[in-house]
Amino acid sequence: MQFKNKDVGYVLPTLIFIISIFLIPIVYTIVISFFNWNLLRPDLGIRFVGLQNYTKAFRDSFTWETMGRTFYFVIVSVLLEIIFGFMIALSLNTEFKGWKVVQSIILIPFMIAPVVVGFVWKFVLNNDYGPLPQLLMNIGFGFIAENPLLANPNSAMFMVILADVWEYTPFVTLVLLAGLKALPQEPYEAAYVDGASAIQRFFYITLPLLRPSIMVAIVIRTLTSLRVFDTIFIMTGGGPGSATETLSFYGYRTAFQSYQMGYSSAINLISFFLAIVFTLIYMKILGWDNNE
Amino acid sequence: MSKSKIIKVLSMTIVVIALIWTLYPLMWIVFSSFKTPIDQFTIPPKWIPENFTLRNYKIFFSNTEFVRAFFNSIIVTAFSTILALILGIPAAYGLARFKWKHASLLSFIILLARMTPPIVMVLPFFLISRILNISGTYIPIILASSFFSVPFAVWMMQGFFSEIPESIEEAAMIDGCTRFESLRKIVLPLVLPGISATSILCALVSWNEFLFALILTGQETRTLPVLVNMFVSEKNVDWGVMSAAALITVIPMIIFGLLVQNNLVKGLTAGSGK
Repeated sequence: MQFKNKDVGYVLPTLIFIISIFLIPIVYTIVISFFNWNLLRPDLGIRFVGLQNYTKAFRDSFTWETMGRTFYFVIVSVLLEIIFGFMIALSLNTEFKGWKVVQSIILIPFMIAPVVVGFVWKFVLNNDYGPLPQLLMNIGFGFIAENPLLANPNSAMFMVILADVWEYTPFVTLVLLAGLKALPQEPYEAAYVDGASAIQRFFYITLPLLRPSIMVAIVIRTLTSLRVFDTIFIMTGGGPGSATETLSFYGYRTAFQSYQMGYSSAINLISFFLAIVFTLIYMKILGWDNNE
Repeated sequence: MSKSKIIKVLSMTIVVIALIWTLYPLMWIVFSSFKTPIDQFTIPPKWIPENFTLRNYKIFFSNTEFVRAFFNSIIVTAFSTILALILGIPAAYGLARFKWKHASLLSFIILLARMTPPIVMVLPFFLISRILNISGTYIPIILASSFFSVPFAVWMMQGFFSEIPESIEEAAMIDGCTRFESLRKIVLPLVLPGISATSILCALVSWNEFLFALILTGQETRTLPVLVNMFVSEKNVDWGVMSAAALITVIPMIIFGLLVQNNLVKGLTAGSGK
């Protein structure tokens, strides 16, 4: 069934929308990144500086620190989410009474606005009025909460990761659970006849067959946690010091606290470049490009 | 057989731990939203409020700023979701049926738009709306919210359309339907569950969106997440009112989200079904 030329009309409005709301702003950002433009100093005007913003960004050790923190955040949180998500998905995959209700409850954090997740954890971790430091004290781990958890540079990043794990483990669980439910039964029957143990069945059948679902979960979570902002903004504001300042946060701060439009654009384009790379990986994994 | 029993016990243990882990912070917020300020500040903190009160909810609903933000959130969410459906559904249909060599490039751009960090887009949006003199109005924030929901709707609906066999439409067209009629009368009713899931997920994204709203809204157009932020960053946080506000912000989306949970995976991993 071939599309005729006039049927381009189905796609055209969206095409125009995407061009005007995505490509034009991106091109605009690229242009700004070659200029020195400070909104607070209109007297300086907008000066063309070539690649200066980029050389500045790459020479500044702070940029690399925020990038390092971003990757640390992404790697630790995605790793924990995959491990926990997998464990929960496997447990939910064994039929028991009321699993649907359990699944619905476990899903809830995923529906909650990241800003609210930030507030919830800020409250729960609050050293005076929150229940978690108190709980740690009661079970003999009080030394962990001796310093306020969010105000301590050594623990703040891990607390932010904790909130992220709380919010997005349900997503991983859901993807893996759907993958588990779609697994073919034949290999298991054959393995059963051959007398394979549960552990063997898991490592030789479940894990390889589930690989595509695992990869999808990893890539999507990597892409979405690279842009982490809301939760950190509320919980720590990037602090204490700059202990939880990620790449997105640095881009935000340079634009909306020190008003350096050009420099911020250069930093944001690094984030954009990372998004392109991971989007290509994502498409590769989905086998999307051999679709012609 | 004892081995399968061990697995069962292990599974149940993990499920129980996961439940406690999920509910622990949530229940704290729920209880706190019914606490008086005195109960709020007891040290050590107590879970169950001694004097159950609706004070925090009353404060929320008598505060014009909160109510205004709630209303703004509804406007932004509704408009951007409608925009996403109007633009997304036909495009998804076109892409699912297109045998055009640039269709894959178009799909890539749409996917990339969905994957781009908001911080990359928020600065040009901010500057362009200053140039166009529309900052602080609903227009930039609605467009910015649609920036995510339109690509999302295209990507998700494409998966649903691909599942409808083309032969059904061919039969209808042989019987004299135009393509548009076959889409409207035959295909759309079949993908209705997909449309409802898509619209709810688009609404979820717009409702929860923070960074765009923080930068692009003015005093009159602030949405709920922005207001939550403002009150959390205050020196003396009224934890009770904030808890109530947080719950009021999330409850509509939790209800909607649970309604479509079966289609959720499909939307989130959309495109893999091709």
